[in-house]
Amino acid sequence: MDQKGRVELEAKKRSLLGSKVKHLRREGWVPGVMYGHGFEAIPLQIDRYDLRQVLSQVGGSQLINIKVDGANEPEFALLREVQRDVITRELLHVDFYRVMMTETITTEIPLLTMGESPVAEQKEGILLYGVSEIEVECLPGDLVDALEVDLSELTEIGQAILVGDLAVPSGISILTDPDEVIARLVPLEEVELEAPEAEVEEELIVTEEGEEIEVISEAKARGAGEAAEDEIRDYM
Amino acid sequence: MLMPKRVKYRKQFRGRMKGKATRGTELAFGEFGLQALEPSWITSRQIESARTTIVRHVRRRGKYWIRVFPDKPVTQKAAETRMGKGKGDVDHWVAVVRPGRILFELSGVSEEMAREAFRRASHKLPIACQFVKRDDV
Repeated sequence: MDQKGRVELEAKKRSLLGSKVKHLRREGWVPGVMYGHGFEAIPLQIDRYDLRQVLSQVGGSQLINIKVDGANEPEFALLREVQRDVITRELLHVDFYRVMMTETITTEIPLLTMGESPVAEQKEGILLYGVSEIEVECLPGDLVDALEVDLSELTEIGQAILVGDLAVPSGISILTDPDEVIARLVPLEEVELEAPEAEVEEELIVTEEGEEIEVISEAKARGAGEAAEDEIRDYM
Repeated sequence: MLMPKRVKYRKQFRGRMKGKATRGTELAFGEFGLQALEPSWITSRQIESARTTIVRHVRRRGKYWIRVFPDKPVTQKAAETRMGKGKGDVDHWVAVVRPGRILFELSGVSEEMAREAFRRASHKLPIACQFVKRDDV
């Protein structure tokens, strides 16, 4: 951490490119790249352990001081993308976006849920979550680590917290649709736990008995009028 | 059981299931999920069976999502039929699943209950699966 509380990360310039980076991964490095507006992209390699430590501390909205090849002056960058193995969750690649402190950027700020909804706590309703981060535009210096969402405000079934309800610090403008739902309290009755549809079962029996399957391409060939009827009837 | 309402073509080639899933690998709706570890065709019957198992275990305490849809027709020749005379009739529908694909998601229940529900559901599927939660994904 530096004096401003920013996380520091040591990185090396990378000479191995393309599929050869698998050798780096075997040796405990994670390939990455740093790019930015008016700045030439630099391929990097970062120690896997160090990167894990940094990722556990920062999200996509915190500036990181990256020292490339031990340079005295660090580069200010945001974590843009983290690629992981879909099964093992092992780190495969990271993207850093180098920022200029005087230029506005578009990034995502994570939402942090606080408190508990009394209705959900008493098991009278279920809390469904929508967006977990919002897209914002601001100067890099105005960025905040996370925006807090107070779930204890949800006291009635059907209530929802929308993106438009968020109180954001000055200097940050939200780009996400204000009608997007962050959290919504739904009644237990609304939760579909029964079988999808009984009539679908009947349709299946018809199919098993060898009923003709209506195919879109065939319906088109017979003319638009008939095709419209087919759509209503469905093919199975 | 799940199946498409309309299709563009009646029958399909088998295709291949090389590599890992590139889409549908993250939890999108729920807190917990069941992730495929092997490639396979999952039939609509298997999906329905796993779904029923989850529902019976969680009762009315949670909300679930099915993240795969059986949109691929599988044909079968009638019994005691000689070879030739064209491809058989559509017999059932399958979802093509590659490793890493999230099959089911669950929300509004405790982690222990979700783990148990997915453990039981995975016995209804032809592949090895793993439990995932939002922090891991």
